[in-house]
Amino acid sequence: MQYKIINDAYGNVGSIELTKEDNTKISIPLDEANTDYQEFLSWKSEGNEPEPADE
Amino acid sequence: MSLALNGTNGVTYNDGTQQSSAPVGKNLIINGNMQIAQRGTSAAGVTADYATCDRFLIRNNNAGLYTITQDTDAPDGFGNSLKWDCTTANASPAAGDFAVLQYRAEGQDLQQLAFGTPSAKQFTVSFWVKSSETGTAVLRIGATNSGNVMQGHTYTISSANTWEKKTITFTANTSDVIPNDNLIGFNLFWYLATGTNRTSGTLPTTTWEAFLTANEAVGQTINIAASTSSYFNITGVQLEVGTTATDFEHLQYGQQLALCQRYFQSFGGSNVADTVGQGTSFSTTNTYVLIHLLQTMRSVPSLGYSAVGDWRLHYPGVIGLEATVMAIATNESNNTKVIVNTTTATNASMGGGKCIQLSADSTINARLTFSAEL
Repeated sequence: MQYKIINDAYGNVGSIELTKEDNTKISIPLDEANTDYQEFLSWKSEGNEPEPADE
Repeated sequence: MSLALNGTNGVTYNDGTQQSSAPVGKNLIINGNMQIAQRGTSAAGVTADYATCDRFLIRNNNAGLYTITQDTDAPDGFGNSLKWDCTTANASPAAGDFAVLQYRAEGQDLQQLAFGTPSAKQFTVSFWVKSSETGTAVLRIGATNSGNVMQGHTYTISSANTWEKKTITFTANTSDVIPNDNLIGFNLFWYLATGTNRTSGTLPTTTWEAFLTANEAVGQTINIAASTSSYFNITGVQLEVGTTATDFEHLQYGQQLALCQRYFQSFGGSNVADTVGQGTSFSTTNTYVLIHLLQTMRSVPSLGYSAVGDWRLHYPGVIGLEATVMAIATNESNNTKVIVNTTTATNASMGGGKCIQLSADSTINARLTFSAEL
């Protein structure tokens, strides 16, 4: 499981990309009611850091 | 023809059938008859995910392996059930092993239970079950966001390979408010297998008590990982106010689908070049595609997608001009519409300002999914 920051067209953080163990991907919105985003925040609060966005 | 009127349970006719006192919307469980399966009808090796039947979550922590299906085996009056079919056995689960079927109910749908008030209501969960295994199993409700309290009950599967209807009444909870929001109100857990970590305490059956792992599934004897011949089917799940299990509330297919689409929607998946949205190209590499969701979703949804190579952008003005998508991301979305940010290889002829279509390749694997599950 791996998280990566995805920027929008203006260079701001637009979403979080999650690559699962089976290599499928989902794009997670920055919405605190979204269960996947809640799991990302929980993962991050444990001291983990996502892969930065592409330059 | 005689009938009995009861202010709590409704009308009972002389043949025993009931007309509930709240016939519309009495069932607080969505897709309890396992009719909707937007993700597909079969999934193997699921450990923690929604699979096949909508709204029902599969969780398996080393308690064997299973194929999950939307099955056509069902009691009279039902068309489908959800089946766990054991493919790798675990006859003696280790202490921390467990397999559980979970349903997450939205808080604002549970307000009529009046949790945390003097008017709190008793409520009844009923369901049909069929299994190769006989013995005792546990249904537990955990209210994670309202004091993290729980209550559980055992039920017995008496006859193997036979549909049986089970009815369990939970006591009113006058202490712990369920927040009136779009987050989890409470969870239902049907235990299918468990090790001793979850059976060594005391199951709270008459009061709502603080969550404790050791109390989760006390009394559970059934293990559907017993052998590769083991299975568990369930359908007709209903949760209603009161102490009586009335007849299952059957909704029309379209109604049930719409309720499920508050939590999950799927686009594509046919063997034609299925156009799913239109948008505007604002550079030679990036295009924002707008997709209007079929129902207002619970939250801004996550966007799942098959291989990016399954997707094409079709451009106007030049016949056959298209580009294979290289990356997909949700962007500037809300719970009624999603903007899909697609990236393609640089091509000067696909410059900004052009209206384009996002289409699936002609493969049934090409799917965009939107999930706002709890």
